Amino acid sequence: MSTPPLWSSATRIFDLSLGQMLWSRRSVFLGILLGGPVALSALIAVLTRTSLGAFRINGAPVAGPTIFGMIIWLLYIRFILPILGVFYGTSLIADEVDDKTITYLFTRPIPRSAVLLGKYLAYLACTVLLVLPSVVLVYFLIVPVGGGSIAAAFPSLVMDLGMLIVGLASYGAVFSLVGARIKRPLVVGLVFAFGWEPTVLLFPGYLKRATVAYYLQALVTHEMPQDSAVSLLMQVFHEVPSVATSLLCLAAIVALTLWLAGRAVEGREYVLEQ
Amino acid sequence: MTAAGVVAADHLSKWYGQVIGLNDVSVSVPPGVTGLLGPNGAGKSTFMKLITGQLKPSKGAVTVLGEPIWNNPGLFARIGFCPEQDAFYERMTGLEWVTALVRLNGVGDAQAAAMAGRALEQVELTDASHKKIGAYSKGMRQRVKMAQALVHDPSLLILDEPLSGMDPIARRKSIRMIKEWGRAGKSIIVSSHILHEIESMTANILLINQGRILAEGNVHQIRDLIDEHPHTVYIKADEPRALAREFLTQDDVLSLKFEDEAVVVQTARPDVFYARLTELAASGQIGAIHEVTSPDDNLQAVFQYLVKA
Repeated sequence: MSTPPLWSSATRIFDLSLGQMLWSRRSVFLGILLGGPVALSALIAVLTRTSLGAFRINGAPVAGPTIFGMIIWLLYIRFILPILGVFYGTSLIADEVDDKTITYLFTRPIPRSAVLLGKYLAYLACTVLLVLPSVVLVYFLIVPVGGGSIAAAFPSLVMDLGMLIVGLASYGAVFSLVGARIKRPLVVGLVFAFGWEPTVLLFPGYLKRATVAYYLQALVTHEMPQDSAVSLLMQVFHEVPSVATSLLCLAAIVALTLWLAGRAVEGREYVLEQ
Repeated sequence: MTAAGVVAADHLSKWYGQVIGLNDVSVSVPPGVTGLLGPNGAGKSTFMKLITGQLKPSKGAVTVLGEPIWNNPGLFARIGFCPEQDAFYERMTGLEWVTALVRLNGVGDAQAAAMAGRALEQVELTDASHKKIGAYSKGMRQRVKMAQALVHDPSLLILDEPLSGMDPIARRKSIRMIKEWGRAGKSIIVSSHILHEIESMTANILLINQGRILAEGNVHQIRDLIDEHPHTVYIKADEPRALAREFLTQDDVLSLKFEDEAVVVQTARPDVFYARLTELAASGQIGAIHEVTSPDDNLQAVFQYLVKA
């Protein structure tokens, strides 16, 4: 038997890992977390139909599609995507090491980088399966608020789903590199996602290009309400690259970080605690 | 060092920071069955990890089947490894797990399932192949690990403490299987800290202690030394007191004590003791025996003696 090629090996690791990942405690926990926006949307939908009336920001009524855009930006892009990326990405190999099952994968005739790649693909499938249903539910709950049209806003939903997949791919790749190279990847990942990224995005200059969020924000299609804290925040973010540039840069980030992570896994010794 | 060995180490050293795991080892493991014998912490696991490419040598070189093993995944098509740790994907059945692992060798789904079925048959787990691994007994877990090691019909099998924790009957079956694989032409390296286990599989041993190979060759030369030291056996059973009553009638049993649901025995004749224990377990007169382990204090004493000599 000869050594199977990288892609073929990665797909076999994907098959082996997806079920494990989907039914892990982490997925159950993050599944519950993803219920948060759905519950919030349900609450808004109920309140606007009963006691609250129209949803308002600074006294101005806000339509359903705009609220949906805010939820996508503030909850999914700025919070849920980095959280999923950090918790899954940093643990792609670490989970197998902690469970002491990595030996079975590293003593098969496949490149170690195929193990990382297969697990990354399983992460992507798993998180897409967790995130997309949540977003679709939020969409159907929120968009009709204030007379918004589900049909009219549908193209925007499709673009949002695509953007979220790109975001999951990007954050997952970045944090898989963090997990492969750094000793305390979870701490470093959380600092990157919730310290470094929000901070440098607030300042003008080139530093923000060393974030994933900078490129992701160019893919957000929603208009934000004016004369509000959110609109001020969006003005700060106004300096964004074009969609094509963003997609190209995110693709480069995914390719480069995965390649570096693969190299790190190939060269690293994993000493299992007895 | 000779070049003909299935595993050849040339001034091989491995250290973890300030701690030396293996120290300047040069050895050639011949084809056939070879036992790697040493107490816990002797360097057995480090040696096993180096010859399975999990660790990179700090100094020196190691080749397996004539090729360097580090960063050489293609070589694993010819090697089967049964690790020491009791770690599995617990939610999978034995058949699913072995099938998934042999698929990584590049075989198709149908062929992988057929190969897994044959491997499980070889380790006598066909009846339990559709059970979840989480529900397996310790002996079954050890055997399913062996199944994943031999499923792709490797020419070299590396078994790290394969009999650890097995009950006497499973232990006897496993020893028989390992001997059969050896007779069938496979090269096997099997590690243990229990001499009589190794002795029952092969006469060819490597003695390892404190990161060094102390001796290689025929097991019988150190056998007398071992017998001079009491051998401790921990037996977890349904009826430890009934077991103890049986043991008390035997001359070779030096002492007995109870720990929870287990009896700890010191014997001067481990081979006689294990043979009788297996017979007792097979007869079913004293209830089920769940686990048999042996601390390595006695072997450690022998090694200290050898080092001083």
